[in-house]
Amino acid sequence: MALKDMRVFIVDDYTTMLRILRNLLRQLDINSVEEANNGDTAYHMLQKQPPDLIISDWNMVPVTGLDLLKKVRSDAKLKHIPFIMVTAESKTENVIAAKQAGVSNYIVKPFNAETLRAKIASVCPAMV
Amino acid sequence: MTSIAKSASPLVSAHGYLDRVIRELQALDSPQKNTLVGVLQYLSDHIRITRDEIGALRTSDGNPQMFSTTADELEEIVTETARAANRIMDAAEAIERTAVEAPASVANKLTEAVTNIYEASAFQDITGQRITKIVRALQSLETKLNSLVCAFGPLGDGEESLAREGDAALLNGPQLEKNASSQTDIDALFDSL
Repeated sequence: MALKDMRVFIVDDYTTMLRILRNLLRQLDINSVEEANNGDTAYHMLQKQPPDLIISDWNMVPVTGLDLLKKVRSDAKLKHIPFIMVTAESKTENVIAAKQAGVSNYIVKPFNAETLRAKIASVCPAMV
Repeated sequence: MTSIAKSASPLVSAHGYLDRVIRELQALDSPQKNTLVGVLQYLSDHIRITRDEIGALRTSDGNPQMFSTTADELEEIVTETARAANRIMDAAEAIERTAVEAPASVANKLTEAVTNIYEASAFQDITGQRITKIVRALQSLETKLNSLVCAFGPLGDGEESLAREGDAALLNGPQLEKNASSQTDIDALFDSL
């Protein structure tokens, strides 16, 4: 499967960030992008149509990105999906907690297009 | 007096009790009373001054909602920067659409510039999160001040309910630039786990 056929699900409570991610993904030739602005909505949408990749913010209410990650990893239908955390939380304990919860990779905000491309390539090598 | 000290009565009641004890001591015909009365009077005066100062702080500009107003203004900054960021991206997306019609060498340069704009637009997310943290701090201060002014209870009231545990204790970002980990740091840590 090529990048252009890839379906990506993005989650962030800031609409600006959702738009940035969508635009940067489009520049990578990824046009099939679904989005949600909180973890709860995201989980319900994910169950209906599992994507090829999930990119999520951490700091959201009421369901955080870490909560969403844990739900995804404990859901038989979703647990295999690569999950990239994109967050301003850059402390060691955050990275450890995310890794322990099964995150596939971790991007710290603010990030650039090349970092996003590299992380997608690392978690979805067959698509790049 | 002991029963008052042990109870959880508001400080206002304790202060009234203290003043009553001072009056009763003053009425006693004892030469040793003056030192004790002096100390108790000193305490009573300081409680009164503290109450007045807290009350003055709460209404220093005639607006009892000064913290709420400040929080509202900060939230307005978040809204305004979001609006500005969206307008910037409207323009960037228009440039990107136009770039398709330009010669390849020009199109590449335009696309590169547009990518830089997209990346820079993340400022709204970062500043928004920082301002939200400040708003929460103001709301916490306001709650504590209200507690002091209205109930005049212990300053520590509510402290425990504000303490975060478990996963909630991990929500501290964005870190200040001088304290933040770089993507390289994150990658090294991530790979080492």
